[in-house]
Amino acid sequence: MSMLRTIKPKNARVKRALKEREPQVVENEKTAIFVRGQSTSDIVRNVMKDLYALKQPHAINFSRKNDIHPFEDTASLEFFSNKNDASLFVTGLHSKKRPHNLVFTRMFDGRVLDMLELGVEGFKGMGDFDSPKSSVGIRPLMVFHSDLFDTHPKYQLIKSFLLDFYNGHALSEIPLIGGIEHVISITAGPLPSDHDENTDKNLPKVHFRVYTVKLLASGSKVPKLQLTEMGPSIDFAVRRVQDADEEMLKMALKRPKIAKSDVESGLGKKKKNIETDSMGDKVGKLHLERQDLSKMQGRKMKGLKIRKERSSAVGAEEMQVDDEE
Amino acid sequence: MDVAKELADYAAANTTAVLDRPNPIVIDAGLLAAFDNTPVDADEYGSNLNTHLLALTLTSTQALISSLFTLPTKSSSSGPITLLPAPSTLLPREKPLPKPKPLTKWERFAKEKGISHKKKEKHVWDDEKQEWVARWGKDGKNREKEGQWLTEIKAGEEADQDPSSTARSERKARIAKNQKQQAANIAAAANHSSDATATSSRGGVSTLSQEQKKNLRERRKEELKRSMILSKTSTASLGKYDKAIKDEPKVKGLKRKFEPTVTNKNDFKGEKEHALDVLHKLETGVGKVKKSKKGGEGDEGGLNVRKAVRFQGKVDRASGGGASAGKKGKRK
Repeated sequence: MSMLRTIKPKNARVKRALKEREPQVVENEKTAIFVRGQSTSDIVRNVMKDLYALKQPHAINFSRKNDIHPFEDTASLEFFSNKNDASLFVTGLHSKKRPHNLVFTRMFDGRVLDMLELGVEGFKGMGDFDSPKSSVGIRPLMVFHSDLFDTHPKYQLIKSFLLDFYNGHALSEIPLIGGIEHVISITAGPLPSDHDENTDKNLPKVHFRVYTVKLLASGSKVPKLQLTEMGPSIDFAVRRVQDADEEMLKMALKRPKIAKSDVESGLGKKKKNIETDSMGDKVGKLHLERQDLSKMQGRKMKGLKIRKERSSAVGAEEMQVDDEE
Repeated sequence: MDVAKELADYAAANTTAVLDRPNPIVIDAGLLAAFDNTPVDADEYGSNLNTHLLALTLTSTQALISSLFTLPTKSSSSGPITLLPAPSTLLPREKPLPKPKPLTKWERFAKEKGISHKKKEKHVWDDEKQEWVARWGKDGKNREKEGQWLTEIKAGEEADQDPSSTARSERKARIAKNQKQQAANIAAAANHSSDATATSSRGGVSTLSQEQKKNLRERRKEELKRSMILSKTSTASLGKYDKAIKDEPKVKGLKRKFEPTVTNKNDFKGEKEHALDVLHKLETGVGKVKKSKKGGEGDEGGLNVRKAVRFQGKVDRASGGGASAGKKGKRK
């Protein structure tokens, strides 16, 4: 934080923008930053590209390499987080020891909360599937399969991370028809028989799949589904994990007390310029920008015509020269 | 064989058949998520992974969709909108909960006395003009006295004053007072919040006790005092001509302490130790002034040549009949 200069607002626009960054009762959607480490593989870059496409529009892609090793030094992540007001990170790395590495980082109050390292072991990109894709900004459904997501601490963290990443921002309402286009499915494999609980090695993979959802008429109120894989399809290996500081997590999990009526009407956000008048009609106030009258076409007259002839232009120049002398 | 497998894959991709789950699927409608807590079937998982994943996804998504379709809806111009409940899964926040705004001095006082807030209207009714005028600002009511062509002078007031300029200066003074109070409130609030952030920036949460906080405050006060004393003596004149600030901390020097010359009970242990200490210091050279590297005392037995030359020049100039003055005269 100290690396950033503190901005003193000089006008209302900056003031408003700064106010948006302050802690809020009902938070904005978390923004994710996708950043590459010094060495990355083609696979890691493609995986990041697809995860970025799914996270859009609440995602920022850093196109340059950065010397980042989240498990060793978090200073630059904290700097990026404060600078961009983002609290989720995906760092792509590739080394001999940990090939095709992705590090997911969550921030709280500008500092690292917890980290999760996943290795890419199988990947098929969005472009490899010849199928329709979901639109940008559509909220996905998320489904998790396996008992591990409920019992194993590492998998609990994976569930929390991925859920937070794509669906963390709770919505108060959604149009079911037209508002649902795809589902992200996350499955952990079964625990192998030779699994040792102490070493925690040989953990089963996590499969990340995305399908487009088509609702079919079923004759009842609830429609039937048809799923088509749209990609990306990623098989993750579970690697290192850094758990959250207990005190910090406690602070992060605190819920605000919001009155139920506020929750029902827009989740604590003040709705500006919308009122209900005494007749029970909803009245909105619109603020339009000032009209540009300089470009308005007035009455056309020969005398007011702007002449573009060369002779007149030359004449004007001569006049100017005369003036200067 | 290959064709058969592809056909099977195609059939699986177009199926709407749902698997049987022994454990019910947990739904979190607020986050549009479903959790299937049944362990994954190892045989199916090993043999045809993608088909099995598709079947699992279809099952859980169907459960999620059917629960979403039972939720209450509201109508809108673009079709029904489903109202979602609050999420049941706890996810960490991005930033801590906002802290309540610190009260101003007046607000604190009003709260103590139970004074309720009365909002002043921005416009007041002007009886003479028969219209609403601004209370302050352009053509404000508070400037009324400044523009009057006739002002009543009450008994006891000086007759030869300029009533409009007095009114103006009074108004300006009120504004200045308010700004001062506002600044003090902001400073107090900043001080208050910096107390909180200074501790939270390290450990995340302020876990300091009341006493520790007090110690911290004392230490900061001490530091401030020290830096103030330092800055006061940092001018060329060592602060001799600076204006004194109200309640300025006094500089306390070190007081010399003398050992008693005569010790009772023939206790010479302390004296001996002291003498030995001095000898030890002489031997090891502790506290010896080191030779300065540049322009300081040189090899000429502790004489600072540069300083001496400058000093001599000064003396000569002061006396007026020095060698340098003679030189100058020649040049002319």
